[in-house]
Amino acid sequence: MNARDSIAWSFRALLAHRLRSSLSVLGIAVGIAAVILLTSIGEGTRLFVMRQFSQFGTNVLTVTPGKTKTTGLPGVLGGTTRKLTIEDAEALAREPGVEHVNPHTYGPARVEAQGRGRDVIVYGATSEMLAVMPFKIRQGTFLPPGDPRRGAAVAVLGPRLKQELFGAENALGSFVRIADARLRVIGVMEPYGKVLGFDLDDAAYIPLSTHMQIFNREALQEINLTFPEASASDVVEQRVRRVLMSRHDGVEDFTVTSQAAMIEIFDSVVTAITLAVAAIAGVSLLVAAIGILTMMWITVGQRTSEIGLLLAMGATPRQIRGLFLLEATSLSLVGGVIGLVAGLGIAATIRAIAPAVSIETPLPFVAVALGSSMVIGLASGVLPARRAAALDPIEALRAE
Amino acid sequence: MKASDLLRFAAGALAGQPKRTSLALLGVTIGVLAVVVLTALGEGARLFVVNQFADLGTNLVIVIPGKTETSGFAPFAGGSAHDLTIADAEVLTDAVPGLDRLAPLAVGNDTVSHGSRSRQVMVMGSTPDFLHVRDLEIASGSFLPPGAMDRGSRVAVLGATVARELFAGDNPLGQVVRVGGWRLRVIGVLGPRGMHMGMDMNEVVIVPVATCMRMFDQSTLFRILLRVRSPQSVEPAAERVLAVLADRHGVEDVTIWTQDAVIESLSSILRALTMALGAIAAISLFVAGLGIMNVMLVAVTERRREIGLMKALGARNRQVRLLFLTEALVMSTGGGILGVIVGWIALLGIRSVFPDFPVVAPAWAVIAAIVTSITVGGVFGYLPARRATRLTPMEALSRR
Repeated sequence: MNARDSIAWSFRALLAHRLRSSLSVLGIAVGIAAVILLTSIGEGTRLFVMRQFSQFGTNVLTVTPGKTKTTGLPGVLGGTTRKLTIEDAEALAREPGVEHVNPHTYGPARVEAQGRGRDVIVYGATSEMLAVMPFKIRQGTFLPPGDPRRGAAVAVLGPRLKQELFGAENALGSFVRIADARLRVIGVMEPYGKVLGFDLDDAAYIPLSTHMQIFNREALQEINLTFPEASASDVVEQRVRRVLMSRHDGVEDFTVTSQAAMIEIFDSVVTAITLAVAAIAGVSLLVAAIGILTMMWITVGQRTSEIGLLLAMGATPRQIRGLFLLEATSLSLVGGVIGLVAGLGIAATIRAIAPAVSIETPLPFVAVALGSSMVIGLASGVLPARRAAALDPIEALRAE
Repeated sequence: MKASDLLRFAAGALAGQPKRTSLALLGVTIGVLAVVVLTALGEGARLFVVNQFADLGTNLVIVIPGKTETSGFAPFAGGSAHDLTIADAEVLTDAVPGLDRLAPLAVGNDTVSHGSRSRQVMVMGSTPDFLHVRDLEIASGSFLPPGAMDRGSRVAVLGATVARELFAGDNPLGQVVRVGGWRLRVIGVLGPRGMHMGMDMNEVVIVPVATCMRMFDQSTLFRILLRVRSPQSVEPAAERVLAVLADRHGVEDVTIWTQDAVIESLSSILRALTMALGAIAAISLFVAGLGIMNVMLVAVTERRREIGLMKALGARNRQVRLLFLTEALVMSTGGGILGVIVGWIALLGIRSVFPDFPVVAPAWAVIAAIVTSITVGGVFGYLPARRATRLTPMEALSRR
């Protein structure tokens, strides 16, 4: 019995029970489609989160005041007796291997103009901010360079804030009021969009020292710094730590977070969740495998005489086993292909209907899906195939 | 045919083919097991989070300085142009109807030391009422002394771990600890308390609120916590707080969190996630249904003669259909019940390993799982049952 014969024999057997076979195939197809769809959603989410994080560049370090060990939100809770100062930022800027330094403060405040007001986040920053953050200016200029301790009474508005306060009018040269300060608008930012829920277009940027005055602050809230793409993140991190500790009496009273480390953590978390969800969907594959096992078991029982005949005509038990394994495997492989096509189709449909949903099917998953459907078929075919191969030809022929 | 006869007949037929019956049943069992265990884990996570929040104390209204219009986040970060002050807290004490307790809260991070031992802690500044608002207990000594909120004495109450680590068994009461540059006399030690919301109340040093603000050079409170007498007074209290503070600051520049709202939104998110998990697991029930359908199709084919005989003896189509439908239903319901039992045992196992994690299968999920498995039997058993009725007695008896 050659391979061609075996395949023909298996397919004839499968086609003889069309409804039965298609139900088994459908079971596998549903399972594979579910796994493909869910992992695609998971992978889409992962890529979305990665893009959100890496748009600020992976060569960014963030320094916040206060050393935190227990909570994951550095520097968020309250203040600390140790401050991060403009001098700290300047010391970091002098350090070789550090490209740009963006010391800043931020806080929510009401920005008012032309009888209208809006509560937004107001950033106190320097001209360096544009070098560190991927923001662009649309109109006018950004904050002027110069000594960060001396701030002019100027403001740059995010496009959303500008729209809300001034509508279509030209905002340049007009004045806005933040708390008790009157600031002249010198620029409007290019729209950027939301990042992890934060609308970066609904913000105002004012000179660092002006901000510190309005908000009655003596220290920085955060320092971002960039380093050349080629340098290793942890080397720069060490250097930053050394510089700041030497300025803070040898105490590490600040927290350095690297963008790369954050991305890595998120990456592994989302990947783990995706795998878990895929495993849950995989339960249906297990159930489908049991379905194939049941059907093959019944088939062997029903075809006892046929098997007996084959054996009597000289087929070896190995060949018999191979026949039934082939039958089970083709069932699940066909199911796998159908499931794959269905899963990809649904994913494409979702993408077409709701482009906002991030859904992405990585190629390796496709291979894994096909591979696993094959393995499932083999595994569920083993017991029935063994049963068939173990039949005694005489007994089997007599069974009729 | 009586119902009991019907059941006995179905059970007999199923018992005649123990292997395939148990395989078909196993599919349903696995599906229901997955639904029960996964929803129980989801529900456990929900209860865990809700408990953590409820642990903060009930009927709580939280005032946060600052407000933004677009971001969904509360303004965690930074202060506000208008400070939330101790004077605000004092005014609220007299102005809010149904108020039980009120505690202003200032927060900072610093190192606390005694002799050569030191530890990084969270420093919280508050008033005597904080003890009641947060349901804390004093293990020895006393809590913060009563008196005007804006007069801070140099005293401290230590968290359980802080006291143990700094004093290693000695009595800390009356001793002096250093926080930053400040010397504080220890007047009390808190009872041990579990971690919640990432804040470890064993790792804190509590000082009078005015002292805390001076230590960290803060002009604004971190929060004002209000506890009202009844759940009904939460809403009016929140509105009143907003009105009073808007009046004092000239603008509405605070965010109010009521605990119920936070718990409610978290709870509904987690419930939705649990349902999604349950639904993904339920895909396997669909696949199990395909398996049952297949087995029933085979049974109908095999029992042609039996069906023919019944018809010849005067059985109606309806009765034959009911017979096979009952068989499918017995299989799927049996599998469902078995799944619930195995799931229940698995949950017992999980509970004994993680006693702190409240894994309980929600009633809706158990009911839904069983109802789904019965429905699966009915839906997937219908086609084979109908097929059984299509045969005429002559055909059924003559062909073999």
